[in-house]
Amino acid sequence: MATRVTPITKARSFATTREPRSGRITVLLLLPVVVLVIIGLGALASASSVLAIREGYSDNLFYFKRQLLFAGLGLFCLILGARIPYRWYQRAALPIFVVGLIGLVATLVVGDVRGGAQRWIEVGPVTIQASEFAKFGVVSMLAMILTRKASYLTTFGHVFWPVAATLGSVGGLLMLQPDFGTTVLISASAFVILAASSAKVRHVFGLGIAALAAGGMLAVAAPYRLERVTSFLDSNPDVLGDGYHVHQSLVALGTGGWFGVGLGASRARWSFLPNAHSDFIFAIIGEETGLAGSFAVISLFLVVALVGVAIALRARDQFGRLMAVGLVSWLTFQALVNIGGVVKVLPITGVPLPFVSAGGSAMMANLFVVGVLINIARLSSVARKEQAGRTA
Amino acid sequence: MLRPTWRIRDLRVVLVGIVFIAAWVGIGYRLFQVQVVEAATFVADGEDQRIRVEDKAAKRGTIFDRDGIELAVSVDLPTVFADPALIDDPVGTAQLLAPLYHGDVAELTERLSQSESRFTYVVRHLEVEVADRIKTAVLDNKIEGIYFQNEPYRVYPAGDLAAQVLGFVQQDDQSGLEGLEAQFDHLLTGLPGKQVLERDPEGRPIPLGELLIEPAIPGYDLRTTIDREIQYAAQQAAADAVVDTNALAATIVVMVPGTGEILAMATAPTFDPNDRSTIDIAAVRNRAVTDVYEPGSTLKVITVAAALDAGIVVPSNSWNVPAAYEVEGKEDPYTDVGREEDRMMSVAEILMSSSNVGTIQIQERLGNELHHQYLDAFGLGQLTTDSIPGEVPGLLHPLEDWISATAGASTAIGYRVDVTALQMAAVFGTIANDGVWVEPHVVSELIHPDGSRDVTVPRQRPVLSERTAEQMQELLQGVVEQGTGRRASIEDFAVGGKTGTTEKFLYEEGFYSEDDRIASFIGIAPIDGPEIVVAVVLDSPHGEIEEGEAMVELQFGGVSAAPVFARVAEAALQALGVAPDAP
Repeated sequence: MATRVTPITKARSFATTREPRSGRITVLLLLPVVVLVIIGLGALASASSVLAIREGYSDNLFYFKRQLLFAGLGLFCLILGARIPYRWYQRAALPIFVVGLIGLVATLVVGDVRGGAQRWIEVGPVTIQASEFAKFGVVSMLAMILTRKASYLTTFGHVFWPVAATLGSVGGLLMLQPDFGTTVLISASAFVILAASSAKVRHVFGLGIAALAAGGMLAVAAPYRLERVTSFLDSNPDVLGDGYHVHQSLVALGTGGWFGVGLGASRARWSFLPNAHSDFIFAIIGEETGLAGSFAVISLFLVVALVGVAIALRARDQFGRLMAVGLVSWLTFQALVNIGGVVKVLPITGVPLPFVSAGGSAMMANLFVVGVLINIARLSSVARKEQAGRTA
Repeated sequence: MLRPTWRIRDLRVVLVGIVFIAAWVGIGYRLFQVQVVEAATFVADGEDQRIRVEDKAAKRGTIFDRDGIELAVSVDLPTVFADPALIDDPVGTAQLLAPLYHGDVAELTERLSQSESRFTYVVRHLEVEVADRIKTAVLDNKIEGIYFQNEPYRVYPAGDLAAQVLGFVQQDDQSGLEGLEAQFDHLLTGLPGKQVLERDPEGRPIPLGELLIEPAIPGYDLRTTIDREIQYAAQQAAADAVVDTNALAATIVVMVPGTGEILAMATAPTFDPNDRSTIDIAAVRNRAVTDVYEPGSTLKVITVAAALDAGIVVPSNSWNVPAAYEVEGKEDPYTDVGREEDRMMSVAEILMSSSNVGTIQIQERLGNELHHQYLDAFGLGQLTTDSIPGEVPGLLHPLEDWISATAGASTAIGYRVDVTALQMAAVFGTIANDGVWVEPHVVSELIHPDGSRDVTVPRQRPVLSERTAEQMQELLQGVVEQGTGRRASIEDFAVGGKTGTTEKFLYEEGFYSEDDRIASFIGIAPIDGPEIVVAVVLDSPHGEIEEGEAMVELQFGGVSAAPVFARVAEAALQALGVAPDAP
């Protein structure tokens, strides 16, 4: 047989010959995620202990315990995501998207302003970040549109308007908070969904260039964002001013060296590195466990990304495929944007590191996404088994 | 078997995967750059911003008396300081804290209100109980920004005892300012240790920060020769003398002639180094070494001793001593106090009655050259030691300056020479010590931090023959028993000594005072087997006291200084447990 054996064909042949495969791929996805959550909890215990005491909590594990609770809630979300048949999102895409939009509007109306941005809604003791919900709304909305319009996609207008409307509404609301990082993240994920769809390549890149131009204009439109960008581009930054955050983050990483200063021995957490437990937690991991630890973390994210891509490839329908591509892009881009900022290859945008950074909404949303990916994987293999049964 | 089919739309998804791989590989490369290749710079940046190398002060050495009792000692006392930037309510905090240490609320409020400053003392060097009260108040009221720390504080347990000898330190940095504290500052201070502290951006220590401590090496301890009991007696005597004789100041030195040990060095008026607010700067000088005066008649001892030692006269030689004696270049002839007729006098009588004319005649026989040689050998015009802070050498004109005819005559009777009380004590010590001059000193031992000791070995030099020394002792005994020094005599002991009275030279004005005199008495006790030399110098005693029928003037050393000698010598001999002479 002269079939060219590529990794994909190999994977496909495994997938079809060694059933059931959904269990293995579930494990391949779950394992790195669980390890990341555990690493996150450990790093958080260290990073936030000083902060907890300085902020007057008598328990130095205050943030750790809270995050443990979020991880528990996240597990529930993961199971929920894995149980809901993913095709339901195709039908419910528009309502989900609209609820996400309403959440974003509500954030702007009744939201809590922290650090100059209005990103949270307080409901009693709980704060909700509606943008997490909106992300999911955008992904399912785009997956739905691009699946349903598959046959019209050769026409630019059929591609442009729905995508522009979806992204424009969410992006506009996000920029009012303002949350540039999430906007970029959603746009990048949308671009990947589009790229994975049957839309024409030149349309995809035309839209991509337009989005880049828009993003560039937005980036320089607000003075604080311009400052971040210029301090990022500055080869000799003001380490006490604009460049302080990222310089402290590099100091922490550099201090870590090959194998780190040891668990709990971070110096950066002693008020040198702001947001050490949230946006900059990767720097604490790099400081305490060195290059070994930071490589482990990015390897785990790479595994998540590749397993996500594999799930997309194996999806039994176009919606599942686009959904999987969108969701895994979300997780991967968010991790890339966060770590890219920490290591100073991207500007700082204030996006948390999935599964690792402190924060409830993000943790629950991210684990829900993992659940949905598992669901796509499971239903695909069931379908394939049926198909295999029929052809046999 | 299901044939896998290659579809173009798969390629797009695979491309997404490849982009992800590329992105993470890029991040990985960057991480390698930051954490390995460029790590050293970032490590250095991190250390720069958090590591502070601080000096850890060494414990300052203790100064002991001759028996090992502490005269100056450093203790750690609590100090309270504040970070005004963290004080939310300066007024309330000041109102709460100031009364606890009897401080001024308004003044503390002002200092706590300077929120741009990150440091101010609240109160320093507290008693432990007071500090505990403040600590409790701070904790109970949850006040932020108040801190506690122990700081070294110099204490002088014996108060004003030997205050001018010990001197004192600047409490801020414990550096010696006066006296032994200044003279031996470099040894007392020790070597500060190095303390490597990691601090957070607000300057608070990072608890797990490695504390590399290079231990401080404590300072040397000093053991002095001071005898507390004799020092106390001398101070009392000096203080009383100032009052009783209306003097400006009194200086007393008590020395062991054989060893040069200073048992007491007292100055009145004095001060308490523990209470710096009341210190009169004039009282800080250790006058026994810092103040020079013309010794007058006490220096006749050297003229006579030199002539005896050189074999020019013997004590029994006598000749006619005229009432007035002309010396070329001097308008008025030299005369003796209270003698208006020529008289046959022996060398012994000349010294006993402190005859100026007789002494000048002896000096003429001695000659300037020999005279100068002996003055020099007795240590005049030189520092006696290097261990007593603030000492001045005085003045002995070099021989080539002894040009005018009056030079020898004036010097013979104790003018034209500037001395300190300590130098004169050493001169009499030489006579008491069989003619051997011994370096006076107040520090007997330097005690190293490891416990080893450097014992002071005083310099010695023979000046007079033993026989001359013995003859001089007899002559000095005569001065007390039959001459001008009768008021120096004490019960149970035979003593010897010499009185001195000179016009006070006003160094600042450049001429002699008309009213003020320097009255002195320097003596040896007991004269048979000397144990101590006591020098008493009174600056400007005034007035008269009744003696029998007559009134006597206190400006004379024999009247004002000799009784002080008697009192101090008696106390010192008793303190030393010297057995009285056989009756």
